[in-house]
Amino acid sequence: MSLASDHRPAAPEGLAIAPALPDILKAIKPRTGVTGFLRRHPTIAVGGGLLLLLILVAGLAPYLGTVDPSALSPARRTRPPSALYWFGTDMLGRDIYSRVLYGTRVSLLVGFAVAILASIGGLAIGLVAGYVRWADSIIMRMMDSLMSIPPILLAVSLMAITRGSVGNVILAITIAEIPRVSRLVRGVVLSLREQPYVDGAVAAGTRTPMIILRHILPNTLAPMTVQATYICGSAMIVEAILSFIGAGVPPNVPSWGNIMAEGRALWQVKPFIVFFPAAFLSVTVLAVNLLGDGLRDMLDPRQAKGH
Amino acid sequence: MALLEVENLQVHFRTPVGVNRAVDGVSFHVNEGETLAIVGESGCGKSVTSMSLLRLIPEPPGKIAGAIRFGGKDLLALSEKEMRAIRGNDISMIFQEPMTSLNPVLTVGRQIGETLRLHQGLDAKAAEDKAVEMLTLVGIPAPARRVREYPHQLSGGMRQRVMIAIALACNPKLLIADEPTTALDVTIQAQILDLMRDLKQRVGAAIVLITHDLGVVAEVAERVMVMYAGRKVEEAPVRELFANPRHPYTQGLLGAVPKLGSSLTQESSRLAEIPGQVPSLTRPIVGCVFAGRCAIATDICRAYAPALEPKGPRHAAACHYALKEAAAA
Amino acid sequence: MLGYILRRTLSTIPVMAMVGLFVFSLLYIAPGDPAAVIAGDQASPEDIARIRANLGLDRPFLVQFGEWGWRTLHADLGTSIFTGLPVTQMIGQRIEPTLSLMVLTLIFAIVVSVPMGVVAAWKAGTWIDRGIMTFAVLGFSVPVFVIGYVLAYVFALQLDWFPVQGYTPITQGLGPWLGNLVLPALSLGCVYIALIARITRASMLEVLAQDYVRTAKAKGLGQKDVLFLHALKNAAVPIVTVIGIGIALLIGGAVVTESVFAIPGLGRLTVDAILRRDYPVIQGVVLLFSFVYVLVNLVIDILYTFLDPRIRY
Repeated sequence: MSLASDHRPAAPEGLAIAPALPDILKAIKPRTGVTGFLRRHPTIAVGGGLLLLLILVAGLAPYLGTVDPSALSPARRTRPPSALYWFGTDMLGRDIYSRVLYGTRVSLLVGFAVAILASIGGLAIGLVAGYVRWADSIIMRMMDSLMSIPPILLAVSLMAITRGSVGNVILAITIAEIPRVSRLVRGVVLSLREQPYVDGAVAAGTRTPMIILRHILPNTLAPMTVQATYICGSAMIVEAILSFIGAGVPPNVPSWGNIMAEGRALWQVKPFIVFFPAAFLSVTVLAVNLLGDGLRDMLDPRQAKGH
Repeated sequence: MALLEVENLQVHFRTPVGVNRAVDGVSFHVNEGETLAIVGESGCGKSVTSMSLLRLIPEPPGKIAGAIRFGGKDLLALSEKEMRAIRGNDISMIFQEPMTSLNPVLTVGRQIGETLRLHQGLDAKAAEDKAVEMLTLVGIPAPARRVREYPHQLSGGMRQRVMIAIALACNPKLLIADEPTTALDVTIQAQILDLMRDLKQRVGAAIVLITHDLGVVAEVAERVMVMYAGRKVEEAPVRELFANPRHPYTQGLLGAVPKLGSSLTQESSRLAEIPGQVPSLTRPIVGCVFAGRCAIATDICRAYAPALEPKGPRHAAACHYALKEAAAA
Repeated sequence: MLGYILRRTLSTIPVMAMVGLFVFSLLYIAPGDPAAVIAGDQASPEDIARIRANLGLDRPFLVQFGEWGWRTLHADLGTSIFTGLPVTQMIGQRIEPTLSLMVLTLIFAIVVSVPMGVVAAWKAGTWIDRGIMTFAVLGFSVPVFVIGYVLAYVFALQLDWFPVQGYTPITQGLGPWLGNLVLPALSLGCVYIALIARITRASMLEVLAQDYVRTAKAKGLGQKDVLFLHALKNAAVPIVTVIGIGIALLIGGAVVTESVFAIPGLGRLTVDAILRRDYPVIQGVVLLFSFVYVLVNLVIDILYTFLDPRIRY
């Protein structure tokens, strides 16, 4: 008998009491707090954790047992990984471990910069297209045309007309990503304009900048965060591809794409040169994409789990 | 022997906030050719009950326990394959939303013929001929043309006729109709009810009719079962229930219905408002499930769940005080 | 219906014109003298003058664009600065390997990814679903050349099942042709499979929650009929859309895959042209790929009307 029964009134003689029914399912233990959140969103935990670790690696690269990533050592070319050279040395005798660790900086910089710049640019263009009726069709035609050029080819042809530098790589990838963001923002603006509360604000004489600040921005924030995360991951891949085919950051910059490009000729005999930057790149992009998936599931639970 | 016997049916769902005991210990039976109405407010478990009869409850997150005997066979003990042979063949179902219950990308003829090809092994040609025949039966004009049309080309009433045609195509012994008229215009509602009554006489199927519209119950049902918060609270032949409701919940439901046989088109035949809310089913309920909204509830009610007790000929209710009333009467 | 197809086809003309204008004006947005940029740091003044004349940079912009557009419409994409050959001829020599690679990848990816997405949606929340979705996020994250190197290392270098690199024209036999393309198609297909599997799952989840799926189950249909007949056809529009959009990924990926597997296709041509700053060739390849991309998406838009009878224009 449970505790509650002590407070029950006595049952009168002959009272027809329904028999107790068994539990056929066990309840899920509810989880709360930070650990509960991370357990419910394991992709955010794993992706965010990995990304934090990589940011630490990038920041602390000089203190993690690295040497000058550009220091040449012709006598010690293409050494396999050892206690001295953890990831081996490349064709010019440079320490691959140091180059890979410093390469984290390039990848993260390009990824974050493109995500932020493309979001700002796409937001501005999308707001104009969604708000200024006459500009809408012209802008969207232009965006459609830009989207008709496969992003990597667009970035590649932009790089072909400029000199290779980290800044130009960021700019080229940003231009290739902007149309998608502006489409997303425009879509949100157009659907919000139909909402009664936005109509009401307009009717009440609220000025457009105020409406954008109060209603449009908060509603674009969630989908844009998710999209920015995916853009970050894809920018890292595009940067590596550009560098890999020789149209990216200058060869003297230790970027993962460059290290792989240098190891390309020898990959059948010295696969380790390509392996380490490839593994770091894959893990980094995976971390970013896991974070993006987690954010999407959290911010848009409708299409998350199925039940 | 009854065609359908349901014993101690429990349908629970695992949710993040706890186990939802959507249906908890419901027993009833349906005789051959009989129409049983299940009534109650939305969320009382009547739709879940009807879905569990065909085992259409997704497991997980749901789980069904108890016994559902159809023609002596326990449906809960059958394999999925054996169950599929029963669905749409021996037991078929009509749903509430004719607008969304038909597949938008398949022709009407295909959707009717599908059951026939599946259960009766007809070929494509024979199935289409039978589909035309079924459309004629449910009163759709120009059936030969309509079989080749898509659902979006039909009106709501027409679509519900198509749903009925699908359900009756294989001459089922039991038809489960879940709010078949709720989504339709009142004039169409009357037509569909007439059609169902007419077809029932011709086909001879037993019907389980799920509804919250007591006007519909009065028109077509022979026996009524009242559900509240996943339990059965009262059961009686339709006239007896309308004339002599025992459970306070049933009395509340009937509160606004002026008299038996009131016209369907009258708004007043809808359920009366009962103050208060249906209790949360994700927390265990001690005592009577209706106690929180009941005007005559006492400490006894809040402590002990009443069992379903006979209150008259073929009449049962689950209320500690209905018993006293009957004794006093 | 015919009217819709015609209108939709005509609407691609301004888009292609805009792509042309963009590709053409790229040279002019670049800071500094485009001829000098193309010629590179070690070029002599004569080289720069020759390039300027080749590109027609000494005449007004609109005149140049007009002439260039007119020539392009007549399938004349100019001549390569580096080889002096007509660009169309250079493209013609390189198109077969790229086309083979892309078509093979496309077929393989669709055949694998759609059932994957359907099964993931059907088994949503189980370990099968989690496994498929883990594979999908990996396919998204591991760059195509990394997959290429791993596959080549394991299946070509270590196991020796397939050639490490190169290409055999289809005219020299289906076997050798396929043998050379299996690994490139597998590596190129991963990201595409990931993309289609994810959208298939999302689209199927939405459809499986619909009333008509419940009706189909209530009829006694088996799981296979419910999933592939009733649900998949309703889920098809977003899936087909993504297949079309994903062609862009395929094109970008082909450039890299051809580098990894030393396939003499358009991707290699592009990479070589970039390294030599051979601008007419870059313009030609970008235009061609964009044209194919626009065309594929045109066909897909027209396909919608067959997939969903409710769509009428």
